Amino acid sequence: MMLLVEIVLKGLVYGSMYALMAVGLTLVYGLLRILHIAHAGLFTLGAFLGVVVTNATGSLTLGFVVAIVVAATVGALIYRWAYQPVLKQPPHVPMIISIGILVMMEDSFRIIFGSYGLSFKHNPYYQSTVGFLGIRFTEAEIATVIVSFVLIGLFSLIATRTRIGLSWRATVTDPAMASVFGISPIGVRYANFIVGSSLGAIAGVLIAILNNYVEPGMGATLSYKGLAIVVLGGLGNVRGTLVASLLLGVVENLGSIYLTDVLDRDAIGFLFLIIVLMIRPQGLVGK
Amino acid sequence: MKRSQILFKLIFVVLVLGFSDWSQAQIKIGFHAPLTGPTAADGKSSEIGAQIAVDWINAAGGVLGQKLQLIVYDDQGKPEQSIPLANKMIGEDKVVVAVSGGYSLPTRAAAPVFQKAGIPYVAAYAVHPDVTKGGKWVFRTVTLGPPQGAVTAEFIAQEFGKKRVSVITMDNDFGQSIADGFKAYAPKFGLTVLKEYTYSLRERQFGSIIAAVKADNPDVIFASGYFFVAGPLVSQIRAAGLTQPIVGSQAFDSVQFIAIAKEAAEGVFVVGALGRDGKHPDLERFKTEFAKRAGHEMETTAAHCYGAIMLVADAIRRAGSTDPAKIRDALAATKDFPLLTGPLRYFGPTGELYQPVEISVVKGGTYHSYKIIDDPAILTPPNQ
Repeated sequence: MMLLVEIVLKGLVYGSMYALMAVGLTLVYGLLRILHIAHAGLFTLGAFLGVVVTNATGSLTLGFVVAIVVAATVGALIYRWAYQPVLKQPPHVPMIISIGILVMMEDSFRIIFGSYGLSFKHNPYYQSTVGFLGIRFTEAEIATVIVSFVLIGLFSLIATRTRIGLSWRATVTDPAMASVFGISPIGVRYANFIVGSSLGAIAGVLIAILNNYVEPGMGATLSYKGLAIVVLGGLGNVRGTLVASLLLGVVENLGSIYLTDVLDRDAIGFLFLIIVLMIRPQGLVGK
Repeated sequence: MKRSQILFKLIFVVLVLGFSDWSQAQIKIGFHAPLTGPTAADGKSSEIGAQIAVDWINAAGGVLGQKLQLIVYDDQGKPEQSIPLANKMIGEDKVVVAVSGGYSLPTRAAAPVFQKAGIPYVAAYAVHPDVTKGGKWVFRTVTLGPPQGAVTAEFIAQEFGKKRVSVITMDNDFGQSIADGFKAYAPKFGLTVLKEYTYSLRERQFGSIIAAVKADNPDVIFASGYFFVAGPLVSQIRAAGLTQPIVGSQAFDSVQFIAIAKEAAEGVFVVGALGRDGKHPDLERFKTEFAKRAGHEMETTAAHCYGAIMLVADAIRRAGSTDPAKIRDALAATKDFPLLTGPLRYFGPTGELYQPVEISVVKGGTYHSYKIIDDPAILTPPNQ
């Protein structure tokens, strides 16, 4: 019983990690109907910058700041140079561009940061622990859960309760009508990429702390599992993304123990996705 | 500069290059490793290791009065790359012998090509059993997975007694073959295998597996994995409060593992590690040279490839000829050759080597030799 509780709780940690990674994808899909696979590259960029800057300056805060600023800028540039020119094309065109960008970014990381990956010189958070219900959690795990809930909760609040959120949702629903009411759809799109990329960078640095390791290919999982989560959560739905991520984390964790001889984590995750979509083709939270 | 001048200079350069090639005959050694793609880290180290061997041999006068030339290709870790590369090395480059600095998949695919062409082929560290099934032209300078696993069982029994062991296995041919050997021999040494958990190489968070291992409450934990999973795994095991001894497989042997796991790496045993305490006369010199060229500390794949090239050069010398058939016979007749990874006693009839297994322990942030297990009952290479 205790084991079951522990596996479920660790699954929630895993799930909140997924949620932070996937919410940027959800935002872009919700607004532009683009499968923004290059988001995985921004996530990796954030992780590398977090480690490099922290190691160079000794300040993790500065690491976070640089990671967020650079990833947000690059995210906005990707929108400007890669997606905006092809918005009128069928959706597979930006998707193929996006895959190309991800491959290019991964190889650039390999060239710039070396292919062995990097670790923090000083990282107390991934080994010091806090006890809860007799289970030990590292400070990094607790931080990941709190940050993902707070940020995603905050984002939901902004989206539903403020004027900025209103204009975002208006642009999602009907860009032409929104611009008639004086909302700049271009501004909303930039804001969208900036917010999504920042969340991706935060996720990257948190996972760098959690594993004490970043590697050029670390976005790979996100690039396909993030898409699964976006589908599972009901395309473009932020709260759905959170629910789907947590559920997927728990299901995968249970499967990785009780089906360890049969299927690996990814296979369990996608099996779950297929089953859910058979029952609820609109996703878990979709209408 | 006028166009005619440029043309003249080009012709001059071509002539000089061409003549320098004729004036000094070269012995060509084919080499492939994953220089790009996800496993490029190991490939790069492999290439540097092999190149150091060639450079040092040439600096000492070469072999049979000729210089060695390493013909390097990028196999991208893919079998569909290594097959055409093998054909190119044989048909175009006319290599007299080839070394694989790559993983099992591309090596397995290329082996039959070299076998068919009658060119000796040495797998430096590819561990899949099928690699040497290619035939009598294929050799391997690393111990197979099953005997490594069997030695691990023997080591745990010697060190800790008849204990209960949890096994954490990476889900690839290397991890599985080690686990198979371990599980087959564990009962013979009085060990009880509680449960085996497998994980995919993409995983970096092991919360659920560690929770289950904690519930099983073993005396010893045996895990296989490369440094990028071993680092997070070991630090998470310790963070979860598990204090049992951890015994790791060969691929734990990487400075990166200690960089990731830090204090948690202390006391971890590695079976099939490099003899790092300087038993080989060239080891220290090699470490220094590697660090200079690579910009980071020596990796095991580099040591394997250095050893394989040194072995091949030694075989050419003993053969007294660059005839591939004579090189093959000389390789097969190798006795007590000092690889960086430990002495190669001899090759069995299938091209597998006999090499005592080294066990290291992490102490004070570095690897130290701990013990050598030399058990012919386990390590004698198969007859077929």
